Amino acid sequence: MITVALAKGALLKDSVARFAAAGLDFSAVLDKDNRQLMVPTPCGRARALLVRNGDVPTYVAYGQAQLGVVGYDVLKEHQLPVAQLVDLGFGGCRMAVAVQESSGYVRAADLPPHCRVASKFTHCAREYFDALDLPVELVHLNGSVELGPITGMSEAIVDLVATGRTLRDNGLIAIEDLFQSTARLVGHPLSIRLDNGPLSSIVEAIRAATPVGSSS
Amino acid sequence: MALQPAAGAKDLNPRQVETNRQLTERLASVYRLWGYDEVSPPRVERLATLMAGGAIDSSDIVRLVADDPLGLRPEMTASIARAACTRFADRQRPLRLWASGTVFRTRSADEGGQCIEENLQSGVELFGVSGSEAEMELLSLLMASIQTLGLQASQKPRLLLGHTALMDLVLRPFSGTLRDQIRTALIDFDRLAIESFDLAEEEKSRLLSLMDCRGTADQVLAQLTSLCGEQPVFEELRRLCVHLALAAQAQAVTIQLDPTFQPHFELYTGLVFQLVCDGRSSPVVIARGGRYDDLVSRCGAKDYRAFGAGFSLAIDPIREMISDLDAAAHHQPDVLVAFSTASNLESAMERQRSWHQQGRTAVMALEALASKQEAEQQAKAQGDLQLDWVDP
Repeated sequence: MITVALAKGALLKDSVARFAAAGLDFSAVLDKDNRQLMVPTPCGRARALLVRNGDVPTYVAYGQAQLGVVGYDVLKEHQLPVAQLVDLGFGGCRMAVAVQESSGYVRAADLPPHCRVASKFTHCAREYFDALDLPVELVHLNGSVELGPITGMSEAIVDLVATGRTLRDNGLIAIEDLFQSTARLVGHPLSIRLDNGPLSSIVEAIRAATPVGSSS
Repeated sequence: MALQPAAGAKDLNPRQVETNRQLTERLASVYRLWGYDEVSPPRVERLATLMAGGAIDSSDIVRLVADDPLGLRPEMTASIARAACTRFADRQRPLRLWASGTVFRTRSADEGGQCIEENLQSGVELFGVSGSEAEMELLSLLMASIQTLGLQASQKPRLLLGHTALMDLVLRPFSGTLRDQIRTALIDFDRLAIESFDLAEEEKSRLLSLMDCRGTADQVLAQLTSLCGEQPVFEELRRLCVHLALAAQAQAVTIQLDPTFQPHFELYTGLVFQLVCDGRSSPVVIARGGRYDDLVSRCGAKDYRAFGAGFSLAIDPIREMISDLDAAAHHQPDVLVAFSTASNLESAMERQRSWHQQGRTAVMALEALASKQEAEQQAKAQGDLQLDWVDP
């Protein structure tokens, strides 16, 4: 049986729609009353694992799920060995450095060396500031990172920005982008290599159902 | 707080140890039939040896705190190759060696800190054979080895074959950093990385079709011939697959040729292979190997004999797969020697010795028991043992 790891939250509805185009009906996971974490399709060919966003690459990398849908931001942060198969285009957002609007910083390079930067994505932030050759102290937070500059704990944050409204409402402004992120269909490399049809037909059907250039 | 072993270190129970021993002994008997001699390479080595000339990343090695740069072996090939090129340098080739033992790797644990992976492996190395005859012997030996392990057809054993010459063909149009990036993307099966490279659409399509090119040797080589023309390595691979077909069929092993299949570390310089089975919930690699002439050369072998190839079987995942089958084989004591208060331990131990001389497994009740009934109860509680009651 094919196992697919799906992320709870913003990507779930679109993920279910893409798998529907490949003939796999995971709509039961969208039911508000559903409390099951492992949901089979009515056809019995596949099952979905309903997991947290950050856990999708883990289930796929260990081979417990052959396929999964997760944001590029999570893949870049966790750096696990999964095969990126299709850019699904939805869930678009950007990873950005943001500061208080009143701070006067206009570029990341303007930040003072050894200042504190708060983020949930410390691996991405570390890679970015290393490339800038700017030494910073990274502070890991699990959420509401906007509070870092507001409370004075950090000079800047590195976080996902979709519409920018949360930043604006908290008096912050994005000054530089690290990368653009969209949802990706990922696979377990060894399972994909050993596949003799069932997985590749699903991947091809999802690719065909994905509008070209939808990620831009 | 209870004392815990280091994360990832193996702390096995008697049944697991017994199954490991049985598996390694079964494999050893096959290696001996094929004329391989046992060696026991050191667990601790200098980092320079362990990194196998850069093929293995130093971050994978469990390093020891010492004045010298030392670490625990992440595999045994480098140490055996060094021995083959130094103290066994004058021995007749082909030189056939086998070894079994634990190997150690390290990685960053998700929660931070170091996670050690300790694994028992058993494998063979064949030195001094330049042609594909070495691969024919090794893969035939691998088939004989898995026959003795008793894998089931339901575990769908599949032999994945790749060759550095096939990968070189795929990468022939590229050079420098781009070549390395494309190689990594092909090995990782990263289609999006291939699509993102600054290449002509035609070139990307070619790479993507090669990434999807896998199957029987006939299918794959026909496709590659149409793309690159006939190459000397194709005939070598055809011969190998034809030779293996019968043995593979008998073991229900499917052979899959895959031009973009390569291990990440660049130890291999010819054929590479992995034997993969269906585990309880995901595919499990139970054996891996290939040709590593460059490593033998780096170990100081003269050019005309710098040839080496081998494979290793991972015992722990094999034990997990066959543990249900082998449950009955676990060695249990069958006699309980107990003595009454009128007798003594010394006389009971004499009786135990006589059981041992008959080849029977006998254990002692080390304290005097008040009655035979009590001794019978103990014998029953310990797994229905036969009671030898010592009472003058």
